[in-house]
Amino acid sequence: MNDVAIIGGGMTVFQRRLKETGKELSYLATKMALEEAGITKKDIDMVVMGSAPDAFDGIHQKGENLLDGAAGAGKPYVRVFNGGGTGVFAPIAGWWHVASGVADIALVVCEEKMGNCYPHPQTAFRHIWDPILDRPLSPNLVWLFAMEMNRYMTKYNIKKEDIARVAVKNKRNAVGHPCAQLPDENITIEDVLNSEMMAWPVQRLDISPPSDGASALIFCSKDKVRQFTDDPVWVDGVGWNIDSTMWTNRDLSFPRYVANAARMAYKMAGIHNPRKEIDFAEPYDPFDYKELHHMEGLLLCNKGEAPILTREGVTERDGNMPMCPSGGLLGVGNPIAATMGQKICELYWQLAGKAGKRQIPTDPMVGVGQAWGDIMQMATVAVLRRG
Amino acid sequence: MTFLEKQTDPTTPMHWTGDMQADYFYSNGVAGDRFFKHLMKKDTFLASECPECGVTFIPPRLYCEDCFCGIPDDKWVEVKAQGVIRTNTTAMIDAHNEPLEEPVVMALIEIDDTDGAMLGRIKTDMLGMDLAGLMVKAKLRPRKDREGTMKDILYFEPY
Amino acid sequence: MAEKIEGSPGYAPGTRVSTKDIVENKITYTWWEPEVQYSWSLGQAMSKFLTGLKKGKILGRTCIKCDRVLVPPRMFCEYCYGPTDAWIELKDTGTIETYSISYLDSDARRIKKPILIGVISIDGASPQHGFMHYFGEMSEKDIHIGMRVKAVWKSPKDREGAITDIKYFKPLEGGEKK
Repeated sequence: MNDVAIIGGGMTVFQRRLKETGKELSYLATKMALEEAGITKKDIDMVVMGSAPDAFDGIHQKGENLLDGAAGAGKPYVRVFNGGGTGVFAPIAGWWHVASGVADIALVVCEEKMGNCYPHPQTAFRHIWDPILDRPLSPNLVWLFAMEMNRYMTKYNIKKEDIARVAVKNKRNAVGHPCAQLPDENITIEDVLNSEMMAWPVQRLDISPPSDGASALIFCSKDKVRQFTDDPVWVDGVGWNIDSTMWTNRDLSFPRYVANAARMAYKMAGIHNPRKEIDFAEPYDPFDYKELHHMEGLLLCNKGEAPILTREGVTERDGNMPMCPSGGLLGVGNPIAATMGQKICELYWQLAGKAGKRQIPTDPMVGVGQAWGDIMQMATVAVLRRG
Repeated sequence: MTFLEKQTDPTTPMHWTGDMQADYFYSNGVAGDRFFKHLMKKDTFLASECPECGVTFIPPRLYCEDCFCGIPDDKWVEVKAQGVIRTNTTAMIDAHNEPLEEPVVMALIEIDDTDGAMLGRIKTDMLGMDLAGLMVKAKLRPRKDREGTMKDILYFEPY
Repeated sequence: MAEKIEGSPGYAPGTRVSTKDIVENKITYTWWEPEVQYSWSLGQAMSKFLTGLKKGKILGRTCIKCDRVLVPPRMFCEYCYGPTDAWIELKDTGTIETYSISYLDSDARRIKKPILIGVISIDGASPQHGFMHYFGEMSEKDIHIGMRVKAVWKSPKDREGAITDIKYFKPLEGGEKK
C-alpha cells in the first residue's frame, strides 16, 4: 500500500438552512480545499462523494446530482454512504483510492442539506426503521438514542450532569470555529439540564442541530506530496465495522463495533497503546453522551470512565486528551456526511498547525477521528499523524 | 444454505404496506434564485458565462464545472426566452405510468445565445414527430402570477 | 463567490435562510411532495411471527449451533450464518432492557402526554432478545430498566397480524419470577 497524505481541506459554514444548493455548497467547500492545496481540478485524478440518506436532500441518487459541484464531471467518481458513518468513511474511501495506487490525488467532498426535508429531518429518519416491526409504532429516531443513553447511564451509574458537560465543552470549543452553527461561550451545565425534554433522558441541548453544509479534503500519494508541502499530515490507519441490524438483540451500553473499527485502524497505524500514543480525538458527538460512548469505544479509557475524565477536565482543549477541539457536532452543527469537517478536516488542521483559535496548545502529533451511523451499529475510524 | 422450513399456507400474511411521506423545500440556490427572481419581473432568461472557457450556462450557474472557477457578476447575461429544439418526445403516459388524457410533447430546447438547453413542454399539434430544429419561444405566466419556479414557464410554442 | 472567511485556512461562507425569509418570500424555492407507496414482502420469518401475534402468541426461532433463541425470529442466524432450526412459542412476558419517555412524535412535533417506549427482552428467548414496544399502566416514575412486564393484547377480533396486535406491555403482577 502507498502512504497517503492530506494536503488541503475546506468547509462551508453550517446553518439550519442555507440558500446554496447542494451543488453550490459542494463547489464552495471543494474550492477551499483546492486553494489550500494549491492545485486545480485538472490535478485531481479521482473524486469521492460522501452524502448520507437521499431522503434529507430529497434528491434520489444525489451523488449524481452533486457531481458537477464536486469537481467530478468527467472524472472517475463514486459516492460512498453509510449513514452517519459517512463523514469518516468518505475520507477512508479517499485514502484507499490513493493507497491502492489507482490515484495520486483524490478529492473527497461531503455534502448534506437536511433543511430540505419537511416538516423536520426527523420525518426522513422515520424511514430507516424496520417497516414491519418498528414503523407501525410511529417511532422517532431520538427514541433510539434515548434508549441507548439510558442503558449507558444505568449500566455505569452515570449522572446526567456529567453527560451535559460534553455539550457545554463542545459548544464552548465551537466559539473558535468560523463555520459554527451553535457556538456558545456562556453555556452552563444548568442550561443543558434545564433545556426542553425531548425523549428522556435526551434534552434539547444534548442534541446537535440538523444543518446544511459541505466539506472537502484532498489526499495525495507519498510520491507527489513533496510538490505541495514540506510538512505533510499522514493517514496512518483506517478502520470500519458494523454490528448486527437486530438492534433489539444487542446490549447498547458499549459500542463494540467502534472498538472493532478502532482496533483495525490502530493495528494499521502501529498503535499499541492508544491512551498514550494518541494525543487528541474527534469522536462523533451528535449527542453529548455519544462522545463519552465513543471515547470508550475508541479504547481511550475504560468502560464508564469517560464521564469521569470529562469532569476532571482531561478532555478540554488544554487537557491531557482533548476531545472535539473543533466544537464537534454539538457546537459546529450536524450536516451528517459533511461533519467530515469536524472529524477529519479538524484533525488535519490541528496536526498542520492551522486550527487558529482552536489550536491545541500541546503540539499534538497523532489524532483519531471517528463517525457513527445507521441503527447504532456503524463505526468508521481514521488515525492521522504529523510529519 | 437453505431455509429449513417454508410456509405454504396461503392464508398467512404476505406483505406489509406503507408509504414514505416527507415533503421537501428546495432552495433554488444562489444562482437559481437570481434566475427566477429575474424571470418573475422580465420575459427573458438569465445565463452565466465562464470567464475562462467562455461556455454560457443556462440555467445559469455560480461556477464552471470544467474550469472549476467562480462566475463573476459581470459575466451574467440576459438572453431571449427562446431557442431551437434539439430532441423531443411525445409522452403518452404520466409519471405514475397512467395514460395521459392528451399526449404531451416534451423537448430539450437549445436556448439562443447560450451553450445550454432546457427541458420544456411544447404546445403543438405535431404529435409523434421529430421536431428537431424547430424554433420555439417560451410562453410565460402572467407576471402577477409568477412564483419563482419552473412553473412560471407554461410551455414553449413555435414562432 | 468562493471568498474565504477572512483570516482562515479553508472556510467558505454560505447564505443563511431563516423561516422569515421563506414566509416573506425573500427567496424563491421549489416545493415537492413525493407520493410513493410500498408493499414490503414479509418473508418467511415475519409472516409466521405476525401470524403468531394474530393468535396472541410470541414466536421465536432457535439456532442450535449458537444456542440462541431469536426474537425477532429469522430464518438464518446472522452470526454462524446457518439456517435457524425450529419455531418455539414463548411467553408474553419479559424484562425492560431500556426505555425512553418521549415528548416527540414521529415528525419531531411536541406532545404533552409522553409516550413510554422501550425494548423488552422476552422470557424464554436468549438474553437481550426481544423487540421495541410501548409501555402502559405505569407512570414515568415507576418505569425502570429491569422491570418485569407482560403484554396487553388487542381483542382477538381486532388483531390483524401486526406488531400493534400487542397494545403495550404493563407491569407484571405477582413477582419477579421468569
